[in-house]
Amino acid sequence: MLSDLLFRLRSFFQRNRVEEEMNEELCFHFERQVEKYVASGLPRAEAERRARLTIGGEDKIKEDVREARGVGFVETSIQDLRYGVRMLRKNPSFTIVAILTLALGMGATTAIFSVVDALLLRPLPYNDPAKLVVVWENSIRHSHPHNVVAPANFTDWQRQNSVFESMAAMADTRVNLTGNGDPEQVVVQNVTAGFFHVVGVNPIVGSGFTEDNWKQGKDDVVILDYGFWKERFGGDPYLIGKAIDINGKPQVVVGVAPKDFNLYVKDGTLTGAKPQMWSPWVVPQSFGDRKQGLGRYLTVVARMKPGVKLAQAQDQMRTIAWRLQQQHPDTNAHWGATVVSIREQLSGDLRPALITLFCAVAFVLLIACANVSGLLLARAAKREKEIAIRSAIGASRWRVARQLLTESLLLGAVGGILGLLLALWGTNALLAASPKGLLGLNSVSVDIRLLSFSAAATLLSSLLFGILPSYVASHSTIAETLKDETRSSPVGGRRGLLRHALVVGQMGLALVLLAGSGLLIRSFVRLAGVNPGFESRNLLTFQVTLPRSKYGKDELQVAFFKELLARIRRVPGVRSVSMENYPPLTGLGAATGVHILGQPQVPISEGPVSGVRVVGPDYFATMRIPILAGRTFSDAELNEVRRVVIVNQAFVDKHLPGENPLGKRVVIHMRDDKVDEANPSEIIGVCGSVHQMGPGEEAKPNAYWPMPELPYSRMTILVSSSNAPLSLVSPIRYELHQIDSELPMASVASMDQLLSDSLSRSRFVMFVLGLFAAIALVLTAVGIYGVIAYGVAQRTHEIGIRMALGAQRGNVLGLVLGQGTRLTLIGVGIGIVAALGLTQLMGSLLYGVSATDPITFGAVIFILVAVALLATFVPARHATQVSPIVALRYE
Amino acid sequence: MSRIDLPQGTLDLLILKTLTLEPLHGWAISERIQQISKEVLQVQQGSLYPALHRLERRGWIKARWGASENNRRAKYYELTRAGRKQLETEQDSWRRLTTAVAQILETT
Repeated sequence: MLSDLLFRLRSFFQRNRVEEEMNEELCFHFERQVEKYVASGLPRAEAERRARLTIGGEDKIKEDVREARGVGFVETSIQDLRYGVRMLRKNPSFTIVAILTLALGMGATTAIFSVVDALLLRPLPYNDPAKLVVVWENSIRHSHPHNVVAPANFTDWQRQNSVFESMAAMADTRVNLTGNGDPEQVVVQNVTAGFFHVVGVNPIVGSGFTEDNWKQGKDDVVILDYGFWKERFGGDPYLIGKAIDINGKPQVVVGVAPKDFNLYVKDGTLTGAKPQMWSPWVVPQSFGDRKQGLGRYLTVVARMKPGVKLAQAQDQMRTIAWRLQQQHPDTNAHWGATVVSIREQLSGDLRPALITLFCAVAFVLLIACANVSGLLLARAAKREKEIAIRSAIGASRWRVARQLLTESLLLGAVGGILGLLLALWGTNALLAASPKGLLGLNSVSVDIRLLSFSAAATLLSSLLFGILPSYVASHSTIAETLKDETRSSPVGGRRGLLRHALVVGQMGLALVLLAGSGLLIRSFVRLAGVNPGFESRNLLTFQVTLPRSKYGKDELQVAFFKELLARIRRVPGVRSVSMENYPPLTGLGAATGVHILGQPQVPISEGPVSGVRVVGPDYFATMRIPILAGRTFSDAELNEVRRVVIVNQAFVDKHLPGENPLGKRVVIHMRDDKVDEANPSEIIGVCGSVHQMGPGEEAKPNAYWPMPELPYSRMTILVSSSNAPLSLVSPIRYELHQIDSELPMASVASMDQLLSDSLSRSRFVMFVLGLFAAIALVLTAVGIYGVIAYGVAQRTHEIGIRMALGAQRGNVLGLVLGQGTRLTLIGVGIGIVAALGLTQLMGSLLYGVSATDPITFGAVIFILVAVALLATFVPARHATQVSPIVALRYE
Repeated sequence: MSRIDLPQGTLDLLILKTLTLEPLHGWAISERIQQISKEVLQVQQGSLYPALHRLERRGWIKARWGASENNRRAKYYELTRAGRKQLETEQDSWRRLTTAVAQILETT
């Protein structure tokens, strides 16, 4: 096989030498033959004549030899290619339309592929990532399978399982980084022993943690995130071994994690931000003690033993969780365990969106192919004569088909290359347009995977759009074509039928795309119209975290925030100011079991649940959350513990339906059980419900405590301003630093921005899908226009006769429009059926709209039919202007 | 005796066979076939050279330039190991074909 190839290649590339050798060989043969005749007594002239006769036509022999040497294939291809280039250059309008269509289709496909590849397909930067899993508690009662884990359960899992090689827990928190430069709040991830072994990652600089670092007193070390190291420390390699000040305590930098290592598990984060450093977590003796109350806040990662499958691990964890339920019903009733592969965990919530986009873009490519295929069919009709003549002088069907396929490949290749360029530009535009952090990618570069995909897509689509036209063209009969001057068949027979089928298919695909994007647009409108429950306009938010070393006592924290709020209130432009521990739209919150006195006592894990928020003075006024019943907190209640609480309407609806909530007393289990039981809070007011987790999530029961009730060292300050909120940042920072110059002002954002960010994913997916649907609509319009216009051109003669026989313009218009309408309606019919099936798969992307929403479907059908008719109308009008005389003379 | 046209495919067999003894150039191959078949088989140049180049492409014979009897440059073909093997199988199937054909001709 190889030697055959080499032989062919030599024949091809050393063509001149091989030719010379062949000439010499044949020449030698001729001379020997002459010599033979001369030796037998013939005169030389006669001998030469005889020799020539016996040998026969020299050129034919040479041609046969060339064929035998296998030059043919390569040479024919080159011939075809040259011919193809000539043909394409001769029809620039056809070529440009076809290439642009393909470039658009392939560019979009490649762009989406590059994102899908980076997020869903490419191997993750961990050692043997297939073995890496995240283990959650499964809150069966609240159908929340990815719930953070209680330390006691983590400890028991670690002890009892036999499927994991190692298991580690992490919890992130914000700390203040001081010294060299402005104080800054950074996110540190505290990790238990063996964490880096579980994830299988070693620092690129420095030696990393040692086992000793998890011993008391030896834990003052950190590993930095690569990006953070570059950004804050300029990538200084000499930083390793030096100490940085975290919350006022020196911590030695012992390593920098690899660039692409950034394990950020959204479902488990407590700060809602990517970690910027890792620190060993020396767990206290009481860590696994159930009697200490059972907060759940850990994210647990584990590495499966060799040979263990995900399903096995899931089975065993379920069994262990079930056993723990039996043993500790007070803390574990209705709690299971979920094992999730790291890939699923990291891309799980993006998967439906990406798969939808990928399907959509494949549709766009198919429509583009159908368009080009239709164009080629029409052009093949124009080239019928040329092809017939080629066949008549001996070209085989295969030879003709091959010529046409070569032209398709040529078109495809140019389109593909343009498409690749478009994709590179498009992907980076896509990433720039995508909300920050949504895709977790900054840029996409050309690599072998992208190139292979692009090449494969090019080849496949070239075959897809090229094979039909070349088959049809090579199978038309010569005699009929050469004879056929009468244009007897009104739509061009089989070829016309095929083009009609292509248009119908395009219509169907376009309808599916339009329906999908229509549904997303409607979802988005619904989502954007949701009243979040508070007023986001002119509201500034930022976080302040008080280090324990300086503000260890509750009273110090309360006093600090009281003074801060008082100072901010005096800043010009501030309308009102307040604070909250977990404000809406930050993706965070605390929730706990509550017991409403007067209702039967049940174990905490089975009783009612409510979110708990700690707020400052003027909270409801600042956020403009309405008070629906009762009153807000009094000054006294905001300054000392008075055991009062305000609950939201959702709390009343869920836990106190039909009762007067005011005056009811609730035990809120946020502190030690005994303290809570002895100190129920009285409901003094009911406020409006807030969509804490974003407009797409329902408003959940919530209880608001004034600050003294449960002081927090980290609060988000909320400033309502009379003008642009961000203009207040520097005067407010000044006030903050007047109190303590070491405290950073973190996560500064306007509430409008947070609200807009919370819609960003929906907006982004809607935007991209809408773009694809628009492209599909344009391509489809071009497709049906092409078919109808071509049909009209072919029927000029027939239309002329009709008009000569008395047909009115209206009749002709109706004739052509009718044809277009028929095609459109068939396509729309098929499209509706397909769309009804396919939009079901988008369920998780929709909000407040059913996947078969009749309004959306009605609207997109209307749009598609209108556009198609418009595209048909142009050639139809053209048909009415046919002059019978010209048409009849046209032959 | 009149001349017979070569049946399809037999030319390859004959070329391989003539090359078993020694490397030959094209003209000599056609002469040799003619001589041995007592002038019954005549090889046309038009089929000989394409056949030679095809056999060369398949790797059954290889070509090299050498000096001819009268000291001219000529292209000599020789059998390769693969060619020898091919010859054996082709000879074998040829024999089976001819016996089978002969049997049919005799019995009817």
